[in-house]
Amino acid sequence: MVATEQARGATGRVSRAGQNLLAAAVALLVVLTPTLTVADDLNADINRLKAEVADLAGELYALEESILHPADTQVAVFLTLARKDALELDSIELFVNDTPVSSHLYSDRERQSLQQGGVQQLYLGNVPHGEHELRAVLTARTGNDRYVRREAEHRFQKRPGESRIQLSLDARAPDYEPRILFSEWK
Amino acid sequence: MNADVRMGRSAARHLRFALAAVGALTVCGQSVAFAGNATEHSRIAALAQFDLAAGQPRLALARTEGAQGAQSESVAWQRARALMETGQVARARDLLERQLQGQTHRGDAALVLGRIANTEGNTAGASRYFDTAARLGFGETRQQALYELAALKLEADDPDAAGQLLATMEPGYWAALGYMNLAGVYSTRDLNAARPLVALRVALAMSEQDAIGDRSASLRSQLLVRAGYLSYLQEDHEKAIGFFEQVPLDSYHTPRALYLHGLALAARDNHRAAMQSWHRARKYPLAYPGVEDAWLGMGRGYDLSGYLGQAGEAYLAANASYESERVTLKKLADRINDEGAWKALIVDARGDDAQWFLADSRTLTQPRMAYLLQFMEGTAAQEAVSRVSELVDLELYLAEKHQHLNVWKTSLRERLATAPGSAGTSRAGLADRAETLRAQIQTLAQRQGDRSVRDELSNTAETLSAVETALTSLERRLAKRDARLAALVRRADAALTNVQSLRSQVAKLQERAESSLDRVALAFVKDQDKRMAFALDKTEQQIAHLYEYLALETLERGGR
Repeated sequence: MVATEQARGATGRVSRAGQNLLAAAVALLVVLTPTLTVADDLNADINRLKAEVADLAGELYALEESILHPADTQVAVFLTLARKDALELDSIELFVNDTPVSSHLYSDRERQSLQQGGVQQLYLGNVPHGEHELRAVLTARTGNDRYVRREAEHRFQKRPGESRIQLSLDARAPDYEPRILFSEWK
Repeated sequence: MNADVRMGRSAARHLRFALAAVGALTVCGQSVAFAGNATEHSRIAALAQFDLAAGQPRLALARTEGAQGAQSESVAWQRARALMETGQVARARDLLERQLQGQTHRGDAALVLGRIANTEGNTAGASRYFDTAARLGFGETRQQALYELAALKLEADDPDAAGQLLATMEPGYWAALGYMNLAGVYSTRDLNAARPLVALRVALAMSEQDAIGDRSASLRSQLLVRAGYLSYLQEDHEKAIGFFEQVPLDSYHTPRALYLHGLALAARDNHRAAMQSWHRARKYPLAYPGVEDAWLGMGRGYDLSGYLGQAGEAYLAANASYESERVTLKKLADRINDEGAWKALIVDARGDDAQWFLADSRTLTQPRMAYLLQFMEGTAAQEAVSRVSELVDLELYLAEKHQHLNVWKTSLRERLATAPGSAGTSRAGLADRAETLRAQIQTLAQRQGDRSVRDELSNTAETLSAVETALTSLERRLAKRDARLAALVRRADAALTNVQSLRSQVAKLQERAESSLDRVALAFVKDQDKRMAFALDKTEQQIAHLYEYLALETLERGGR
């Protein structure tokens, strides 16, 4: 009899403890739920806004192209690596007719992207029809751990329509001397 | 002959300059579009890939806009990545699902889809995607997918299955991270530290194969501290000391390693060496875990070495240090309330404002940086900071575009206000000049010259015909000029309205995001203050014990 009462008492205690625990859990849930919902709402709103800004960015890109870079006089210069381990690029400067038009310092991610076949648009601008000079100055670490600075020049004929010039960097063993090759995209 | 060549070159150069001047007057505008062939698609994909690496996902999106669809898998893949980075998960998901049917990015797409499903709480879906990524992916993609699968198994409380998955991984960062997590699960389940220690040793070996220096060094420090702590708990002090001594001094984990190193040395009754470690740990800001214990340890070390006077002084110094830190934390909380956590904790940590903590460098010893690093360890803090950071980035982007649009609009209006008449009247003059130049080219071409001169003349003639063609169509293009400019002004106006509306939305959301960050930061500061109060309590107890002991000693001595 005593044992039964003890058991009942224990059950009662457990059930009270369980009720307390449940109440605490519910209270915690009540406290946490609005916070989580607010954060989720905020995240959803931010994502919605980011999507709208991205749409606007597309429109602005097209508008910028129309206003700033008429295709007939447009010149774009792109940079690629001819081979994955050719060079570890540090910086590049670009001059059109001796006027500096672009310079770039490379981050690790950008270097990695170039090594994986990424293409960088170095410059987009306008020049009149006729002959022009493009000069590139690069600093880089070569495969045999030398830090080098090299310059290369390229003369090109600006014809009607957009001109797209590719600047391709290469360096081969054993001397890993950087070579800068220019070609025009058809 | 030489003189002829020189003359020829000089004349050709003059012709080029003249043509350049004429050419500049006859430009016409057309929109740029990539031709729809395979080479162009691969170029777009390569350009977008670099844009993403350079942190310009919006540019990558704009580039891939016209080339979406099934034409190029690579373009669609880069577009999906850009969509993910600009928060457009739903749009990205469609493209990623299509990638699963393709050839080149199936593994990568499955990995991203798995992470999306995991974030949404769809564990079964995530597991399926990760499995696909592990099966179809290569290199880092496959390793990440296996790591994610192992993490899901650990979440499901199945460390054995996780271990089996980890065993199939290549040595490197992801395998090391996986084994570290496995060690964490084992250490909560097991009564002794044998299995976690083995897992940590494997993780250490795996991390050695990671080629990326920074993350590898950070992970290795963390693994060493964990392995050392487990060895200390196992009372294998020699091994623990060995692990701690490998932690580099410039690591985020160094203060904790120094404190535990002291603890292991003290356990071997080498109090002098222990105090040297704690003394070094005390040089770091109290924000780092282990530093407040190191202050306390100094007093304890003197106490155990029998220098009771110095022990008292050390406890009092610890006390003063904790009190001072509480003042600093109070100031920080006040600044968060006044200026917001974004400025007080994040922006100012990168600035040169050295007055707040009288800091003179941005190393680990700077308290502000220490609190920032400590704060950023929490998931809630990372999310809150990331939200504000994204909105600040959006505002900067929109402000820049707002300014550009205003400049373009003004310039276009000025061009609209300028009558094209002067250009029209000068057309006849330009045509005459072009005619004269053509005659000069023909005269020069009749002279004997070397190949380079002939090439130059040929180029010049080509440029001249381009200019003449442009001149011929000038009237027609001039007639359309005003309509085209007006259309551009209308587009700029519409874009400007759009930008203004988006900026006001950004401002509202930024306010909400910042107040959410403030709440998280204030809770963090409150926790830090509690930690200091607790440490203060401990030193006061130690001081009370010490004085009690000294009083009893004095009484005993008096009794004798």
